[in-house]
Amino acid sequence: MTNDTAHLAADMPQETGAEQKRLGFWLTLPAQLLVLFIALFPILMQVYISLTDWSPLDGIPWYRAYELWIGLLNYADLANDPRFLSALWRTFIVMVFCVPVQFLLGLGLAILFVDDFRGKRVLYSTILVPMMVVPAVAGYMFFMLFQSGGPVNDILSLFAGRPVTIAWLADPDLALFAVIVSDIWQWTPLMFLILLAGMVSVPQDQQMAAVLLGASWPRRFFTIVLPRMKTIIIIAIAIRVIENFKVFDNFYIMTSGGPGVATETISIYIYKVTQQELIWGYVAAIALAILIILSVVSALAIKKMRNA
Amino acid sequence: MKRTLSLEIFRYAAIFTFLAISLIPTIWMISMAFKPIAEWQASGADLTWWPKAPTLDNFRFIFGDSRSDFIAALERSAGRPILASLLAATFGTMIAMVAGTSAAYGLSRFGSGGNLPLALIQLRIFPPMAVMIPVMIMWAFLGLIDTWYGLALIYGIVTMPFSFWLMKTFFDDLPREIEDAALVEGCSRWRVFLKITLPMMRPALASSALFVFILNWSDYLIALLLTTRDWVTIPVYMASLSSSMTGQLYGAKAALGLIAAVPPVIMGIAIQKQLVRGLTFGALKE
Repeated sequence: MTNDTAHLAADMPQETGAEQKRLGFWLTLPAQLLVLFIALFPILMQVYISLTDWSPLDGIPWYRAYELWIGLLNYADLANDPRFLSALWRTFIVMVFCVPVQFLLGLGLAILFVDDFRGKRVLYSTILVPMMVVPAVAGYMFFMLFQSGGPVNDILSLFAGRPVTIAWLADPDLALFAVIVSDIWQWTPLMFLILLAGMVSVPQDQQMAAVLLGASWPRRFFTIVLPRMKTIIIIAIAIRVIENFKVFDNFYIMTSGGPGVATETISIYIYKVTQQELIWGYVAAIALAILIILSVVSALAIKKMRNA
Repeated sequence: MKRTLSLEIFRYAAIFTFLAISLIPTIWMISMAFKPIAEWQASGADLTWWPKAPTLDNFRFIFGDSRSDFIAALERSAGRPILASLLAATFGTMIAMVAGTSAAYGLSRFGSGGNLPLALIQLRIFPPMAVMIPVMIMWAFLGLIDTWYGLALIYGIVTMPFSFWLMKTFFDDLPREIEDAALVEGCSRWRVFLKITLPMMRPALASSALFVFILNWSDYLIALLLTTRDWVTIPVYMASLSSSMTGQLYGAKAALGLIAAVPPVIMGIAIQKQLVRGLTFGALKE
């Protein structure tokens, strides 16, 4: 034995290989079990329930739901359910208005914040406040603001020079506008935070070189900074699109989906059918349809993002 | 960017304009929370932006001490919902942190876990609403409806993706040399993990836990579906603070909203560096 350490190093991987595998197994086990608990079993149950006409009010337990077997009828109903289709469409509309506005505002703020100036830290933290307010609380805040005797009308009265009494949340179009405003208010700071982090990480040397060559600021921004931020821009937009699809808390508190179904997004629709109409077999079919759509979309998106 | 005076003026003007608009809702809620009942309903020309006679009555009211002899029907203290929120969010955070951290270490060091990373991203992408039917059935079957531990369990599962991805990026950044040295000394892998790696990760663990806590604390939908009476959380309780008799209890709701908003705002500002990592699943390492 001339070289003890070399011998040890050569031996270690073989010795600990099995041990490492075992340890890795035990370390990941709790997470695996929790995911299984919330994924595999519930989804099988969901498929099963969705093929029946079961409701918790039927007085038979869920595992005997086969007594109410109706096959694919729920799915046939789904394709002809105008309320489902309009909720899906509305969710899409909300997304199309919210995400670009949040992106442009966030990008603009990130540009303003990218270099140092006096008071940067305090202003930065203040901008982040809305995204940390509990969404349900934000919903209530905007509910107050948009009352017909509320502050929004009060501010408008100042500009109009006469009392403005618009019933924002009672008018279908204005209510949709109001919930969109609340979403933009809450999540623009998140866009700003992510885009700023991405902008700061763009290397300085190329920008310096461009400055020396006399490139104007917009030119540098669009030819150097923005292309370098491609990945982070995709991620930021993807996050907001996903979260926007799920939106529930502030919308439901502001309007409960109303007036009528004017602000009923897909989550609110599912919630209402779950709570009010209680045909859980049908709800399971809706939910499963959404899971399938999202699985396909997200699998494609993740694949794209990995290649980017 | 070249520094010119006009540019600096534009910068401040733009930021302050944005802030002025963005702070209105928060300021309105703070002012509402301290307004006496007479000023809640004032509108139009009487609308008061700042309480003329500031009072703590709203806070007294939600804690059951309604000396304003007003509304007996709703006289249920907010103390219990606050306790429910605290218990569910805290224990949910513990579940997410224990399972997420150990899985992150397993993946970062030994490459175990198979499809776990992807499964966890999928878990976050799916709307909770889309799996709530089976979850409600399961929770009813297991007797977990309307309990704080039932809520904590689902919070732990739902927020685990964040603790996992945050901790994984931290573990990836941690140099292995220190651990290797301890291994050569004869420590077992377990001992190294528990006695050396974890203590070194204390700041990372703290910020991840705060991040997960904020997410749990903010939930409304899951609590709305899985609690009914005894263990409703703050947001669910807040939504119930109105009745046909009394109408909207603006002041009381605002006071409760203020209480609910304070912890995440303070914690969030304390860990803003980690927020980007957490929300982007570590895809962008700051």
